[in-house]
Amino acid sequence: MRWATRAGVHIDRAACAWLIRRHLDAEAEFVFVDDPALVPADATPFDMRGAELSHHGGDCSFETILRRYELDDPVLWKLAEIVHEADLDDERFDAPEAAGVDVILRGLSMICDDERVLEITGPLFDGLYEFHRRALLLGREPA
Amino acid sequence: MLLAYRIPRQPSTLRITIWRKLDRLGVARLGDGLVALPADARTREQLDWIAEEIGEMGGSATVWLAVPGNAAQERAIAEEMRRARAAEYRAVAEQAEAAASARPGERSRTIKRLQAELRRIGRRDYFPPIEREAAQRAVRALVRVVEGAG
Repeated sequence: MRWATRAGVHIDRAACAWLIRRHLDAEAEFVFVDDPALVPADATPFDMRGAELSHHGGDCSFETILRRYELDDPVLWKLAEIVHEADLDDERFDAPEAAGVDVILRGLSMICDDERVLEITGPLFDGLYEFHRRALLLGREPA
Repeated sequence: MLLAYRIPRQPSTLRITIWRKLDRLGVARLGDGLVALPADARTREQLDWIAEEIGEMGGSATVWLAVPGNAAQERAIAEEMRRARAAEYRAVAEQAEAAASARPGERSRTIKRLQAELRRIGRRDYFPPIEREAAQRAVRALVRVVEGAG
């Protein structure tokens, strides 16, 4: 399937792309556009104004996708807190990782294109997921 | 960049939510339902999402890339934003100085809180005033007091 989002991806779009590839559509193909009007007819838009899979009622797009596709994995919701704070910084959650992830994504967007950002951040989110999966199982920070 | 918006009067919690979000972004208030921010990718995105949220709560909002009619207007708005941040930095500096005589545990908590506050102010500080340096110095000095007390 094809998925479309705004060019110049940052934390929320990179995390959504990872979530889509890992949990919704392993064959996902991403299109980056500058204007919502340029979204191809066969592509599902996300993290764009007017799209269903976008910010809603104070949620970031990552949280919206979790709700919309009923992904109730608590580890994904833990990552959602980090993505939410890195993206919106509204202090709804206590997510100390957010500041670091935000800076890493902003820096990456300065040195590579959107395709490459998704390539690099794939393992980054895989690692965050694994860390928090183990933390949840152990009930404390894993070594 | 401008956000022109109208929010339904009731419920007032929605209005307050939006006001808080705009305050956190450090907007200049140009009039009733009209706020401004310097345009960059991040502020653009933030205002777009707030506009969307206002639409979802039954209000209306439009985002504009605007050019001021003359340079003096632009300077006046920048100056107002600088003054607003300067007051926030002064408050941090005062709290840091006051905490020097507090109990050690209390001092450490104050340091954490003030460091977070400095980061928050820094994110909405588009025209840094000289008070920024003084506030950072005051918090660093407080850190040294705590370390010295070891």
